[in-house]
Amino acid sequence: MIKFENVSVRFGSGITALNTVSFEIDTNDFVFLVGPSGAGKTTILKLILKQLEAAQGTILVDDLNITSNRFHDIETLRRRIGVIFQDFKILPDKNIFENIALSLKIQHISNAEIRNNVEEVLHLVGLPNKTLLFPSQLSAGELQRIAIARAIIGNRDIILADEPTGNLDPKTSWEIMKIFKKLEKKKTIVFATHNTDIVNSMRRRVFVMKDGHLVKDSKKGGYDI
Amino acid sequence: MSDVMKSIRRTPYQSFASFLILLFTLFMALFFFSITSYLNGVLSYFETKPQVTAYFQTNVKEGDIMNVKKELESSGKTKDIRYTSKNDALKIYHDLNKNNPLLLEMVSSDILPASLEVFAKQPEQLSSIANYLKKQPGIDEVVYQQNVVDNLLKLTTTIRRVSLLVVGVILFIAIIVLMTTTAFKIALKKDEIELLQLLGASNFYIRKPFLTEGIFFGWISGSTAFLIFYAIFFYFYPFLKSYMGTITDIPLFGLAQYNLYVWPPNAPFILLTYILTVLFGMLIGIIGNYLATSKYIK
Repeated sequence: MIKFENVSVRFGSGITALNTVSFEIDTNDFVFLVGPSGAGKTTILKLILKQLEAAQGTILVDDLNITSNRFHDIETLRRRIGVIFQDFKILPDKNIFENIALSLKIQHISNAEIRNNVEEVLHLVGLPNKTLLFPSQLSAGELQRIAIARAIIGNRDIILADEPTGNLDPKTSWEIMKIFKKLEKKKTIVFATHNTDIVNSMRRRVFVMKDGHLVKDSKKGGYDI
Repeated sequence: MSDVMKSIRRTPYQSFASFLILLFTLFMALFFFSITSYLNGVLSYFETKPQVTAYFQTNVKEGDIMNVKKELESSGKTKDIRYTSKNDALKIYHDLNKNNPLLLEMVSSDILPASLEVFAKQPEQLSSIANYLKKQPGIDEVVYQQNVVDNLLKLTTTIRRVSLLVVGVILFIAIIVLMTTTAFKIALKKDEIELLQLLGASNFYIRKPFLTEGIFFGWISGSTAFLIFYAIFFYFYPFLKSYMGTITDIPLFGLAQYNLYVWPPNAPFILLTYILTVLFGMLIGIIGNYLATSKYIK
């Protein structure tokens, strides 16, 4: 469960990135975050990941108040969260296996277990035989699948996707969405996107953001700004 | 280790700079450590020798010598006074010349002087003890080593201070260079570090490759400094041996019970210098890299 209670974020220059936003996302729910650029979508993701501090309000991840002054265990929180970035953030000097394994290595998991888990997750994203290739040898769609594989491996129960189809053609975007469909009901997914087709077709819960405000929360909404 | 090798391949010049500065620092540290421990050993050697020796004329009676001994003991300036009779002196002479029968035949106890060997409580009292002995009737000669001990003490103190200063300055430069080269490497791995942080890696996990690299450079530089130092040392060993003459078995800071001899350097002492050099190198590597990572990894 992710819960925001009157959360605001202000930047030093006086800009209010988020203004008294409140919502609750149940465990294993799927939520689209939509809105124009600068509406506050990425800010919400960064707050959950503790990359940003809220100026006011409370954020709960399950029963954990991550805005509390007493909360310091950022590492444990982040190990529960898989992040998919628009620019993939795949390391060019590591092969595909090493890129995905990073997510497990930091948790000191044994090499045998890492090998099994990486093979399993590569099957799930449809790239079973690419372990030894380097990022430069893969297409953008394949790289995004690798980023998804890295995000979901290792029992991360929350997935934050920041415009994961932003750089992809429509066909590849839909292939990516098929992977997300497989993850539905197994993980809590917060999916920030500009892709109207995907949001309208999927008919999932949609948060519409505008100028730092949550202006609409629809149970089976569409891309309706 | 493969990460360390990869990092060295990616930044060969920075790695070479780290290696060179560590090598220079460790070589100088090893040099000053050896010379200080050697001088300390020599100083201790001279301190164990009688500080003032008074030789009496051969016609002086033992009773008179004992009176001088008692009077000196009652002055409170002496730590120990050893009496060597004519017969004892002959015995010592025999021991020293046992392989030369001709010399043994020519000498009897009558021509050898009795003597008093005096150890002072304070080195400053040596001069007054020597003056007192010189004024006693029947004294033939008074020998005292205050100059040798004083000069050695001055030299050891000076070298210790100079070495602390020089090694301190080089150490400071080494840490700055290591921090700079590590900062460069961190900048190259900025994306990876950012990603690791977002994935939930601990700061120690992120730091570990840099610290391992510091330890590796400490080990390789320490080993190279050790090899170069002992190659030079053993090249000059015959010269040093002739210079040292009969002085042998000088323990390291009095640690003879651990079989650590600084002159001639034995295997345990050489092994100890290797371990200390490498450990010191590793420590510098860890400190330099830890400071660099503390600045950039938050």
